Amino acid sequence: MATIENAHFTTLKGAYDTETMEATVKVRRFNPETGKSRFDTFIVTIPVTATVLDALDAIKDTCDGTLSYRKSCRMSVCGSCGMRVDGGAALACKVPMRKFVEAGHTITVSPMGNLPVIKDLVVDMTPFWDKIRAIKPYLDTKNADTPAKEWRINPADTALIHKESLCILCGCCVSECISMESDPDFLGPAALAKAYRFVGDARDKDTRERLRDLSGAHGIWDCTRCYFCNQRCPKGVDPRDAIAKLGAESFKEGFTSDAGAKHAKVFVDSTFKGGYLRETELVPKTIGPANAIKDIPFALQLARAGKVPNPLSPHKAKDNDEVKRLWKLLEKEAKGQPRRATAVHPDAVQEG
Amino acid sequence: MIRHDVIVLGAGLAGMRAAIEAKRAGVDVAIISKLHPTRSHSGAAEGGINAALGNATEDSPESHAYDTVKGSDYLGDQDAIEVMCREAPDDIYELEHMGAIFTRASDGKLAQRPFGAAGAPRTVYSADITGHVLIHVLYEQLIKYDIKVYEEFFATKVVVDEGRCAGVIAWDTQKGGLHAIEANHVILATGGVGRMYYGTTNAFACTGDGMSLAWNAGVPLKDMEFMQFHPTTLKSNGVLITEGCRGEGGYLRNKDGERFMVHDAPNAMELASRDVVSRAEWREIADGRGVDGCVMLDLTHLGWKKLKSRLPGSRELAMDYAGVDPIEQPIPVRPGAHYQMGGVDCDIWGETMVPGLWAAGEVACVSVHGANRLGGNSLMETIVFGRRAGQATAERVLEQGDTGARIEPAALADEDRRIAAILNNSEGERPGVLREELAKTMYDKAGVYRTGEALLECQEKVHDLRERAKTLSLDDHSSVFNTDLTTALELLSLLECADCLVTSAVARKESRGAHSRLDFTTRDDDYWLKHTLNWNDGGEVRLDYRPVTITKHQPLARSY
Ligand SMILES: Cc1cc2nc3c(=O)[nH]c(=O)nc-3n(C[C@H](O)[C@H](O)[C@H](O)COP(=O)(O)OP(=O)(O)OC[C@H]3O[C@@H](n4cnc5c(N)ncnc54)[C@H](O)[C@@H]3O)c2cc1C
Ligand code: SF4
Ligand code: SF4
Ligand code: FES
Repeated sequence: MATIENAHFTTLKGAYDTETMEATVKVRRFNPETGKSRFDTFIVTIPVTATVLDALDAIKDTCDGTLSYRKSCRMSVCGSCGMRVDGGAALACKVPMRKFVEAGHTITVSPMGNLPVIKDLVVDMTPFWDKIRAIKPYLDTKNADTPAKEWRINPADTALIHKESLCILCGCCVSECISMESDPDFLGPAALAKAYRFVGDARDKDTRERLRDLSGAHGIWDCTRCYFCNQRCPKGVDPRDAIAKLGAESFKEGFTSDAGAKHAKVFVDSTFKGGYLRETELVPKTIGPANAIKDIPFALQLARAGKVPNPLSPHKAKDNDEVKRLWKLLEKEAKGQPRRATAVHPDAVQEG
Repeated sequence: MIRHDVIVLGAGLAGMRAAIEAKRAGVDVAIISKLHPTRSHSGAAEGGINAALGNATEDSPESHAYDTVKGSDYLGDQDAIEVMCREAPDDIYELEHMGAIFTRASDGKLAQRPFGAAGAPRTVYSADITGHVLIHVLYEQLIKYDIKVYEEFFATKVVVDEGRCAGVIAWDTQKGGLHAIEANHVILATGGVGRMYYGTTNAFACTGDGMSLAWNAGVPLKDMEFMQFHPTTLKSNGVLITEGCRGEGGYLRNKDGERFMVHDAPNAMELASRDVVSRAEWREIADGRGVDGCVMLDLTHLGWKKLKSRLPGSRELAMDYAGVDPIEQPIPVRPGAHYQMGGVDCDIWGETMVPGLWAAGEVACVSVHGANRLGGNSLMETIVFGRRAGQATAERVLEQGDTGARIEPAALADEDRRIAAILNNSEGERPGVLREELAKTMYDKAGVYRTGEALLECQEKVHDLRERAKTLSLDDHSSVFNTDLTTALELLSLLECADCLVTSAVARKESRGAHSRLDFTTRDDDYWLKHTLNWNDGGEVRLDYRPVTITKHQPLARSY
């Protein structure tokens, strides 16, 4: 090859030239030996393209080797480097430092929430993995007659679980989950998104059992719909949307006995009938009349504070018909969507 | 003392696939991994995995094998290549049955895309996240088969007892402390070693630990001089921008805006093979026609629609890590170390010269890639040879039972002393400083182009660094999650691998595949059609050679 013959070079010009900037980073430290926490502030010189992870590396390599955090891919795909940046969970390797430096802002880096801290920014992921295990995270074809070649699946059917398949199990969603904070046993957004990945998979034959289990205690109905998981997920998985899809699927299978499921049903029925949500129906229909009686003192307290509409004069929205029309429209839209995917045995396909 | 029939070291695709196979065969298998399985770098693979399914056009394992032999610049062992290409289709079907979410064609079959130097569209894929999809499907199977994983355990030594592998000594990163874990068979599946180079597509964890473990256990490393460079990596952190960008019609330009590939591959242009494009880029930059140490990957003419729909991942990476939106500006790119074709010498079942010690995946050199790997072949290698190693070790266990090899308390005590000495030392240089010096030296002097002179300088520097690394200064002397310690251990692996690489490269006086020497510009089959072996001779590299296995295809000139 001609180019080799007349060439005389080995090194690259400008290979290591980089424009740099000075950044200030405040880090929450936790020393497992003393059990004590503190904040440390570091000033480091980093390239202008540096991420939060690069800044931590600069600290570790040049000033404090004891700083501990997880990392591997540095390209937002391995899920190691979840931590809080200014209070919200993010992948350290995905957040650029430049905007903070330009704004003269000192960022604060701290470990993810809802998981025990081991050291500095390293959390114990065991509870996270346990929940992933709990949703039976593998395909179950129920010993369907496995074909010699691949199952045939329509591309549109694989698209049903595309978003859920992007999950890198980083834990950022779980870190910010409101419901997990009050109920540590809640399956949580990551495990539920993973569950939908199987419920929506054409090849999986365990759908009914999965939905039955997921609609039980600590399952899909424990989600408060705060949407923090959607907001913090670095990969666009939108776990809350997956939970909504699981809810819709479990209704179809008739799993409506959970209080959360009933609660959702009252919302729908009540708005359909009257155009408004009737709070006074909500409680008895959600938890049953007997349990609702126990809550009467609380209801009275609410009423005194003006939070309860008069239960005796059922109010109806003026434009209730419009609500109904909207409702029908939604229903029609939903019918147009392919809800259950199908996988076809290649032997059953007529080759054209 | 912990004991298992089989220990798999590493939980990337090769390691998990091996463990699943051994478990299914009914033996007691466990995995030791310094990372949680899904954090392994296999998850970063974008493009796809090769198997001659013939879904898109007619194809055959024979034609896959021919392309691979030719691509390897005839250094690949043809018996191993035949095994991989023959077994690949069934392995793909099995991954699909496990639940892998591959991209489908309109007839519902697995879609296959064309890849460099392949005679047919042969690459099965999942958009631009194939590795991610595979790593998760194998992790799911790990849970299904309830396979024990020693997670965040860092292996520091493979113990050999009277000539047989007896197990592994590993540091528990989460809690601190060394453990002896005995096994009748150990499968190394620890991945690559790209981190010895400054510009690399590899993760921080790709530090050649398994290569160094094998080398110190008395197994030679093979063909280490062949490091593949990928032509489009980001300057800031080495992140790979997929070949798909050029596949979709992207241009490579120098500082004058010229599409310089016209000088090197006037027909294939930007889509010429990886080694050719990398060399052309290197020349442009070295001769002063680069921009800030890079050439420009220009996608602006593709339009925002195509970029958003076909290359969303690459756009996101360019925005996150190069600060440019490729819709408006070209992306500065340069060659980066990508894949180690060489590795632990083993046979087509993965067995090494030390009985009971096996290897599979990027750590191994079977060798199916020879002097140059084809895109999509290494994911396939991890699956085929991972499965085979799992099967072969399980069969051995069922036939032979306990091999009798043991980790003596003295061996653990010795290793404990070695690790304690590193852990407690605060004199000498910081590991980070040495790592950066090594990476820059390798990138400058043992890169895309090599000369005898530069390689000798590089070798001298590596020896100097190995000497200086004998005392490393640590800040962290504690036991819980001490990443100061693990980075120091990783540096030691990198240095040994670098020594093997550069020593082999100095000796190989020809240009073949990824090894291009400006002082020996042609391939020399009469003398150099042979594998290099690197033995550990009291800590120094001793070279040896072995013939290549040729079955069907006699060496021909390689042109595309
Ligand atoms: C960015 C990128 C894109 C790529 N794209 C493609 C592609 O499209 N197609 C293709 O065919 N190939 C591709 N490759 C190559 C391919 O992905 C890798 O060669 C392959 O995935 C390696 O798999 P592995 O199982 O051997 O190792 P890895 O996945 O790297 O796993 C190594 C494992 O070993 C463990 N380990 C390492 N050291 C130790 C230790 N000391 N103690 C304990 N455990 C240890 C790690 O924790 C990890 O679990 C790509 C590579 C890169 C970097
Ligand atoms: S929407 Fe539900 S799952 Fe998501 S963070 Fe809020 S409570 Fe948790
Ligand atoms: S859903 Fe998103 S935030 Fe949650 S674990 Fe998966 S990738 Fe991370
Ligand atoms: S280091 Fe892998 S996601 Fe950040």
